Amino acid sequence: MKSFSNRYIYIYSTVLVVVVAAILAIVSMVLRKPQDNNIKAEQMQMILQAANKTVERVEAEKVYNNYVTTELGVKANGEVVAKYTNGKQELGDIRPFSLNIKDEYKKYKANNNDAVLPVFVYTKEDGESIYVVPVRGIGLWDEIWGYVALKSDANTVENVVFDHAGETPGLGGNIKDDPSFPASFVGKTIFEGDDFVSIAVEKRVGKDNPHKVDALTGATLTSNGVSDMLKESLKFYVPYFKSLKK
Amino acid sequence: MDSLNIFIKSIFVDNMIFAFFLGMCSYLAISKTVKTSMGLGLAVVFVLIVTVPVNYLIDHYLLQKGALTWISKDFADVDLSFLSFIIFIAVVAGIVQLVEMFVERYSPSLYSQLGIFLPLIAVNCAILGCSLFMQKRDYSNIGEVFSFAFGSGIGWLLAIVGIAAIRERLKYSNIPPALKGLGIAFIITGLMAIAFQAFSGIKL
Amino acid sequence: MANNKKLITTPFSKENPIIVQVLGICSCLAVTVKLQPAVVMALSVTVVVMMSNLFISLLRNTIPPRIRIIVQLVVVALFVILVDQFLKAFAYDVSKQLSVYVGLIITNCIVMGRLEAFAMSNKPLPSLLDGLGNGLGYGIILVIVGFVRELFGFGTLWGYRVLPESFYNAGYENNGLMVMPAMALILVGIIIWVHRNKNKELVENE
Repeated sequence: MKSFSNRYIYIYSTVLVVVVAAILAIVSMVLRKPQDNNIKAEQMQMILQAANKTVERVEAEKVYNNYVTTELGVKANGEVVAKYTNGKQELGDIRPFSLNIKDEYKKYKANNNDAVLPVFVYTKEDGESIYVVPVRGIGLWDEIWGYVALKSDANTVENVVFDHAGETPGLGGNIKDDPSFPASFVGKTIFEGDDFVSIAVEKRVGKDNPHKVDALTGATLTSNGVSDMLKESLKFYVPYFKSLKK
Repeated sequence: MDSLNIFIKSIFVDNMIFAFFLGMCSYLAISKTVKTSMGLGLAVVFVLIVTVPVNYLIDHYLLQKGALTWISKDFADVDLSFLSFIIFIAVVAGIVQLVEMFVERYSPSLYSQLGIFLPLIAVNCAILGCSLFMQKRDYSNIGEVFSFAFGSGIGWLLAIVGIAAIRERLKYSNIPPALKGLGIAFIITGLMAIAFQAFSGIKL
Repeated sequence: MANNKKLITTPFSKENPIIVQVLGICSCLAVTVKLQPAVVMALSVTVVVMMSNLFISLLRNTIPPRIRIIVQLVVVALFVILVDQFLKAFAYDVSKQLSVYVGLIITNCIVMGRLEAFAMSNKPLPSLLDGLGNGLGYGIILVIVGFVRELFGFGTLWGYRVLPESFYNAGYENNGLMVMPAMALILVGIIIWVHRNKNKELVENE
């Protein structure tokens, strides 16, 4: 085996590191855009899905711009601090769509009053407004999240959509994979009179209870996670929803 | 989530071996006797509780999007997270080397027990995996990260010592020849994983 | 030429990286719940092994032995990051399913093992082929496990339903155990059993 001087080793490693770093930096810059677009398109697709509009990922942005005409940034006291309508920022300086929901939820959980979460206003063909809000929580293994769409009365569920990071496929993973689970939320209500009650996921509740849906078989803890997620996340929006009802 | 909860969860529920199959290679190769597997297990715990918090700090203050704001507000948009794999593995390899030198210098007796395992650990996927999970799961402070690393290490130790004990006994049992050694080790690990499923969802 | 062909074919059975060399088990089992991520993982690993084998083999005479492990790690990490970035950009859904396991290709012992055992002492072309062979040998186990788990665990293949509705009406149920991590281990154990029954010389005598 050849022997190498220390100097050679230093130069060798420096050159290697610089070359590798340069390649990575270039690739990451070139691919950043399609990557961000993927994430954005997925989010738009989910929002549309929540409002009962199923689209392909590639179409998502176009359809989204057509139907989701207004995005709002809302605080826990119901105050609207940001508004983005028809491609123009009308209030505040951050577009609600680009809010980091994860970070804002963290603030909210830490009882920080600065937390701002988005409301997406989807306008149906017949002119009815659907309010789509993000929800976020913890399942059995990892995070679960989704969007809840409420009809213009800010009470009745139009549709919901869930996703998860690592629930067991075939059991807890069914919150996403089994279409009958999100479908069971349709038509439920989150208010009883003026009181916020959320929608609970419990065992054997049948179809008729307006505030409860059936839990998934074999996935009690994921189901509980969905229950807690809805209660905690929707609570944030209660003052805003109440202001809509007036 | 508090630290104790994370600790218990990472031992039993998110067990590195039974739930994520991390560190399987050395797990299968070194688990022939309890004594050596104990040594390897301790070395893994040790390296984990050093590398994961260090990687957390690096991720938090250098790599994440907006992590560099402590230097200047202008860096708020810099996102170096594409470098995280390479930095994490370099940190792991570097720290393993350092730990090895320290242990050799200050505790020869520990070195003679752990020494041969330390170089192996740099390429043990449980170590890098733990750092990557840490990055993905967004723990809120270093205490939680520490208990996650410690718990994962203990969980790994538990698994390897468990299988080593079983394999020591298996020498005396009558296994079909083709299944001897590797084959039966896989199947037993599978059965142990089923047993650990019973822990899923425990919360304190 | 005959030698080159052998480089590709032996890793399929006699020197299979998973069931004989016991390399790279870590990142493989967790992605085999369904067929699609298993195939993508197999392809990613193949690409990484091939490229880093080729690269290290080209550099082999310039690498100072004292820092060779770290040089190998850096080269492997480079290709893994490239694969990860491409998946995120062009196969986003799959990259979500594979999550951290793409990163773990770095510590996948197959890659490091082949670099040490083969690429450091062989010419570029054989190294490339050796990488291809080992990547595919690894892939075939992944695909078998993924096939069985998806078929019995979900009744689907590649996301399409293959078991007819009449099976379910007749009382057939998807096997929930198949989707658990434990079943992947047991399946690999069974594959080893069958394989060693066919290749008696591999049987371990303790």
